[in-house]
Amino acid sequence: MSSLSASKLQKTNELAVSIKNVGLTYTTAIDRRPTLKARVKALGRGGKQTRVVRALDDINLDIEYGQVLGVIGTNGAGKSSLMRCVAGILPPTQGRIEVYGSVSTLLALGVGFNPSMSGRDNVFLGGLAAGMSREEIEGHFDEIADFSELGEAIDAPMRTYSSGMYARLAFSVAATVRPDILIIDEALSTGDAKFKEKSLNRVKELRSDQRALILVSHAMQTLRETCNDVAWLHKGQLIQRGEPNQVIDAYQEFLHLGKSAAIDEDV
Amino acid sequence: MWLVLNPLLLSGVYFILIVIIGGTTDSARYVHLTASLFLFYLVANSLTGGVKSITAGQRLILNTAFPRIMLPISAVVIAIFKFIPTLIVFLVIKAIMGSQFSIEMLWAIPILMITLFLALGLSITISCINVYFRDIASFLPYLTRTLLYLSPILYEASALNPNLKALEIVNPLFPILDSWSRALVHGEVPQTSSMLQGLAWATGIFFIGTYFFLSREREFAVRL
Repeated sequence: MSSLSASKLQKTNELAVSIKNVGLTYTTAIDRRPTLKARVKALGRGGKQTRVVRALDDINLDIEYGQVLGVIGTNGAGKSSLMRCVAGILPPTQGRIEVYGSVSTLLALGVGFNPSMSGRDNVFLGGLAAGMSREEIEGHFDEIADFSELGEAIDAPMRTYSSGMYARLAFSVAATVRPDILIIDEALSTGDAKFKEKSLNRVKELRSDQRALILVSHAMQTLRETCNDVAWLHKGQLIQRGEPNQVIDAYQEFLHLGKSAAIDEDV
Repeated sequence: MWLVLNPLLLSGVYFILIVIIGGTTDSARYVHLTASLFLFYLVANSLTGGVKSITAGQRLILNTAFPRIMLPISAVVIAIFKFIPTLIVFLVIKAIMGSQFSIEMLWAIPILMITLFLALGLSITISCINVYFRDIASFLPYLTRTLLYLSPILYEASALNPNLKALEIVNPLFPILDSWSRALVHGEVPQTSSMLQGLAWATGIFFIGTYFFLSREREFAVRL
């Protein structure tokens, strides 16, 4: 991983992620919680009460460096599952995923944060959870604090923050990570309009020939502006992939929504 | 502050119990009690910290890729940091009670290593079990309480009724606590057989638990 990020000459059009015939099935228990008690009761009834969910079905997708791939689809299409597979969090049931480079995920904001600690301490916690070293975080600390616009509040405990402040700090930490492959899962819609604009600009800054970006979003306008490639997933299958405007138009037509304000507005 | 006060109060409470039930006010008994109790709590804290380490780290597990085994290991590290001040409290108590310090006390170091190994194994095992059976966390307080009474803490190992010797064999903490008390309280060289027995338990639990954990690790994200 480190050898790859060290040799940053010209990686454009080199393969970043290769997804081959990937399928993923979840076996979820119908019981609310897996407990010993439930297991003993199930013995009496005979048989396990499970339900099989096919989240991904034979997905093939190659992502190259320099690409900004938008992933769209309705709720439950398998977008997050696919991202978790690429990040190495969920093992695919079948198929193969090859990743060439370091992956950082922005699947949820504020992972690793501890609400009883100050914003300052949480910058370190969150940064460490995102895979940065202590020195790196120290080096970027002022940048993170400035970007979050928290001012003095950075030293207050995080439980005293408003949800907007919380999300702003979380995004600021996450945006400082500089991986080879960055996955952002609907993490952009944070804060007020001004901060949204700012975070969108930050994502645009992150676009480079040396990096592959994957954006999962329902904000079609943002995707049209930032991506140079879009993949549309539906019920675990890859429906279409290609030029952003074309795919997004097809998707919106599929939704029978046309160009309604509801999907364009939210960043 | 509480890190020191807590163990002191704890040993005080159990000493009252000994005085009332056992009828002894021997200072050596008190030294034995504190030494054993503090080591026992190192293991008990690893267990209580470890049991929910995976299930409580749900957000972390679902959103980042990292070696999951770090979660139960960190629970043991926290238990160690709680244990260090109690060790100092113990040494002060021992000095006040006028108990002899000797070179044999250094045997406590390898015994502590065995204990940490055991604590690590237990923490890893129980954190993994809790993913599949969430109610283990509710059983745990009773489990540790039982273990406390089955171990030579409120009594000395040598004072155990011969009919109950089976307890020695099935309790991994028995040989460890016996050796610990011999070395730290009585300044004796612990029995090799006890230490080997403790080491065997620790190794067994550690390797079986770690194997179990590592083979299931990839499934955790789905199970949470």
